Amino acid sequence: MPRVVREVAVAGVYQTKQGDLSDRMQAEVWFECAKGACEDAGISLRDVDGVVYDGPQGAGIRDKLPGAALGYDLLGKPLRYHASSSIGAAMTSAGLNLAVHAVSTGLAEVVIIVNALAGKPEGSGNVDRDKAIAAMAMNSGPYEYVYGTTRVSDYAVLANRHMHDFGTTSAQLAEIAVAQRHGATLHPLSVNGHRGELTIGDVINSRMIADPLHLLDCCAINQGGGAIVVTSADAVRATRRHKPIGLLGYGEGHSHIDPNSSPSLSVFPAAELAANTAFELSGVSRDEIDVAGFADHFTINVLFGIESAGFCKVGEGGSFVEKGALKIGGRLPTNTSGGFLSFSHARMCGLFTLIEVVEQLRGNAGARQVADAKYGYVNGVGGAMQNNFSAILGEV
Amino acid sequence: MTDIAYAKLLPEGIPSWHQPYWDSLKAHSVKVQKCSSCGALRYVPKEICNKCLSTAYSWAPIRPTGEVYTYTIVRRAPTAAYQAEAPYALVHVAMDDGFRMIAAMKNADPESVRIGQRVKVAYEDVTPQWTLLQFEPA
Repeated sequence: MPRVVREVAVAGVYQTKQGDLSDRMQAEVWFECAKGACEDAGISLRDVDGVVYDGPQGAGIRDKLPGAALGYDLLGKPLRYHASSSIGAAMTSAGLNLAVHAVSTGLAEVVIIVNALAGKPEGSGNVDRDKAIAAMAMNSGPYEYVYGTTRVSDYAVLANRHMHDFGTTSAQLAEIAVAQRHGATLHPLSVNGHRGELTIGDVINSRMIADPLHLLDCCAINQGGGAIVVTSADAVRATRRHKPIGLLGYGEGHSHIDPNSSPSLSVFPAAELAANTAFELSGVSRDEIDVAGFADHFTINVLFGIESAGFCKVGEGGSFVEKGALKIGGRLPTNTSGGFLSFSHARMCGLFTLIEVVEQLRGNAGARQVADAKYGYVNGVGGAMQNNFSAILGEV
Repeated sequence: MTDIAYAKLLPEGIPSWHQPYWDSLKAHSVKVQKCSSCGALRYVPKEICNKCLSTAYSWAPIRPTGEVYTYTIVRRAPTAAYQAEAPYALVHVAMDDGFRMIAAMKNADPESVRIGQRVKVAYEDVTPQWTLLQFEPA
């Protein structure tokens, strides 16, 4: 049976410029990301023998059997491992746990996770904004979408209840968008950095989409790609290219499909479960965390992330984020690349959250660098707080 | 039967065992599942009671009243047909019988909707085949 035999670390990462890649084939972007992460790691794409999440898009059964597609067809040899996580747009970042497991147990040597959105796909990846919004609205299922729900309204009801229960304000939520935009202005690959800094007034005076969420409380709708490759920590050390950053703790919490089943729509025990498991397994305490990456489809997600991880008491997230606490140099630097709000919300975008924390812990974040960042916290959310993962990262 | 005049989204992929709920809406007398073992009511339809894990149930009438647990006002709607009615309020209602239901708020200014507001079930016959559950001020 598989058992842990060695430590595992991130070997390489890569991200494309985020934005409109509709003139490129998805598979072309996929391979650009895969090769880019391998180059960062100092290895060849030929060394990859495991994949987590999807391969490059293709026709027919190829999309259902990504491991097989990356066997003789694409990499010219049998692949040793494939697995996939189910945590929504975080299935790429939660997939780090699967990749680490595969390498630590000897099921594979080098595992890659690639996220790529490009071309002119149907559905939520559509470059036609109206069509993308309509497709995402269907995610709520027929007992909700018949009423004209949207992805924004799915979260707006949670935000409204949080405001009702705890007195959270729109200005507090705006602090999150403002802090993250600052990071995006310092990241040349971000989709919204070129738009410049935001003020709280900019956010709360932007168009209301679904009360209480304004346009600037919502993530970007864009395309882009990224990849992360992991191998044994010894192999990463041997290349002397990067500090070996690994998974110190990990946990999941699967909550509900039907919002009517969730005991509360402002407090999420399953998210707390994920965080508690990750912290317990890591032996790292909350106050040792130097940098965080929270799922941020909407600003309110970050409050849920902070509260459920125990960085403050439940209900106190609003006051926690005030006065620039999430900015680089603040109390808990968060989504320092801009997050989904300002860096990228392309497809399974949790990967970008993870990559930014890895860059911070390696000390490679350039103008965004958080001084002496030793431990990082990452979470990811599927659906509207329907499932969650938490991870603690640090040098191994 | 074509529903060509109705441009908004209709339920798709509803399993046949959910049909008694939709039939009860058509009859303007909503019924939800009642666990045959512990008596708990549940909505939306689910295969097992999450309180006692019994799979036995009947379809039971409910008190059609409750209060708004949370809500939003949609200003940017998913499709043109919904946008034509925006802004509109969506409500999550804590029913007096102890479970929650989601629908739109009818016969009310969306700006007037508040958490804690008393509401009652309304029925909207949207096509000859489909009736939707809605809420309105009690």
